[in-house]
Amino acid sequence: MLKMTHLSKVYRTEVVETYALRDFNIDVKEGEFVAVTGPSGSGKTTFLTIAGLLETFTGGHYHLDGIEVSQLNDNARSKIRNEKIGFIFQAFNLIPDLNVYDNVEVPLRYRGMKGAERKQRIMDALERVGLASRAKHYPAELSGGQQQRVAIARALAGSPRLLLADEPTGNLDTQMARGVMELLEEIHREGATIVMVTHDPELASRAQRNVHIIDGQVVDLSEEPRFHAHNARVADA
Amino acid sequence: MQIKPVLTALRRHKAGTVLVVLQIALTLAIVCNAMFILHARLSHLSEPTGVDEANLFVIANQWAGEQKSKQEIDAQVRADLIALQQLPGVLDAAPSNSYPLRGSGWDNFVGLKPDQLQPTSDAAVYLGDEHLLRALGVKLVAGRNFRADEIGTLGLREEVHPAQVIVTRALAERLYPHGSALGKPLYSMSATPSTIIGIVDRLQTQSVDDWQRAYAYQSMIWPLRLDWPSGLYYIVRARPGQLAAAMREAPKALLALDSQRIIDPSDGGSFAQIRQRAYDSDRGTAILMGIISAVLLVITAAGIVGLTSFWVGQRRKQIGVRRALGARQRDILSYFLTENLLISLGGVLLGVVLAVSMNVWLVVRMGAQPMSPLYLAAGVLLLLLLGQGAVLAPAMKASRVPPVEATRSV
Repeated sequence: MLKMTHLSKVYRTEVVETYALRDFNIDVKEGEFVAVTGPSGSGKTTFLTIAGLLETFTGGHYHLDGIEVSQLNDNARSKIRNEKIGFIFQAFNLIPDLNVYDNVEVPLRYRGMKGAERKQRIMDALERVGLASRAKHYPAELSGGQQQRVAIARALAGSPRLLLADEPTGNLDTQMARGVMELLEEIHREGATIVMVTHDPELASRAQRNVHIIDGQVVDLSEEPRFHAHNARVADA
Repeated sequence: MQIKPVLTALRRHKAGTVLVVLQIALTLAIVCNAMFILHARLSHLSEPTGVDEANLFVIANQWAGEQKSKQEIDAQVRADLIALQQLPGVLDAAPSNSYPLRGSGWDNFVGLKPDQLQPTSDAAVYLGDEHLLRALGVKLVAGRNFRADEIGTLGLREEVHPAQVIVTRALAERLYPHGSALGKPLYSMSATPSTIIGIVDRLQTQSVDDWQRAYAYQSMIWPLRLDWPSGLYYIVRARPGQLAAAMREAPKALLALDSQRIIDPSDGGSFAQIRQRAYDSDRGTAILMGIISAVLLVITAAGIVGLTSFWVGQRRKQIGVRRALGARQRDILSYFLTENLLISLGGVLLGVVLAVSMNVWLVVRMGAQPMSPLYLAAGVLLLLLLGQGAVLAPAMKASRVPPVEATRSV
């Protein structure tokens, strides 16, 4: 589903070259739930932005759902982001001027979907995250946990092949974090491929597989699946 | 098109939106009315007077020195005219009390009966002799010119009502709309009738005021030489191509005959100068209105650029999120263009109402003409294009916000 080989990302200034990712290799299979961990500045977020086609990379190869993406132009990358990827951001990134319904609708409009189908999908996605009754509310009228659920609904509405989550519980209190995590696990059980960046080892432990990044490289690839072994610890944290 | 979400978002930014809508509306209302007035002013600047403007010049002759008797003045005027007519560059010369576009002059009520209380019309009065038609270069379309023996004189404080007059076609048609005016009488503030013996095609009045536009071509010529002690005008028509030479030689010839006179350089002159002087204030008004309109348009455009730039800066993260969710650059561009179009449409709708109200007020209070809807249509189009043009640069900037902006913390 997501395969990076010998991928590198270099930030260049006139005097210095900084490798954000170096000889980076990862292979995420369809249906996997992978947690990407690492200390601050290790390259987790760079990996996620490249995986999500939000940024280009400097060298190596990246195949997403069988497509080599390095040569794609901006429009093609936008189309892949829209159709194949669902984003869940730490700061939720809902559009404050739009209500819940309109927020979930944003990616569907960019896909050019017809109104009736959009409505069906939006309501299904909102039902799925338990917020159908809040469709007319604005983000500012919702709690952090509810906002993140809306963001998840927005990510799910387009039926993406891959969900990318960037510290999805980073801005939430423990109880809300647990709810969001359970929702992600539930979505994973239904067959979604999820790649989640987190610096929280407890959250990471709830993923199927952990990928650890230090200094822009994958240093420890645990092949052992660890299914939901630590739910209780998150709840207690 | 993404009209609904754009409208929804605009509802959350009422203050800025309302301000720009009002700005566009006011600009449309003022610019449409200003352009309409400006066009009305400019359109008559180039209307022909009916005289041979390319070759015509006017000498404003004021008598100086010891006051002469009427007979002496008349003798001098006749001598002056002969001298002018004999200049090699001059085709003809005639005396007069005024000339077209002078700004002011004699203006009489005209009626069809001696005891008429309400005049039929209003007409400019030009005095002149049998040379005046040729000197002016006006075209006689019916009847005949004055004969030399019909020319009288008009001294100071004398009242003369000539037996014959020549009128313009406009006046003839006004007095006698059904059938020819030739041979028929008119009464010009007197119980003595004047018979219309000739009709000229076109001869504009002295006035250039808007309120006299309706009478602009209603003139009549009386067969009289003006022998006032103050002075008179000599209407001189140069031969083609010899205007400059004739204008140089004519004053010399007059001063050689009698130096006790002043040729006023601020009055008369070539017809190009006369036209320039006559419409100076109109031209000034037109330029002022043009500048005000241009400044308003620039301020409106600057307002749109400012507000959109502010919104783009404010929504940078949001734009990044939209890009992350699949918006292409052109989707972002079209978002801001659509947003501007909706604001501008609101502005022009309100602006049309304001513009029409303003025009109605000007019609009722100032006697202006009703504005043609073409001005509104042009104004609406201009402001919509201005809005789209003004928003283009900030919208392009917005479209270049990279999708990775979505992951950056503010």
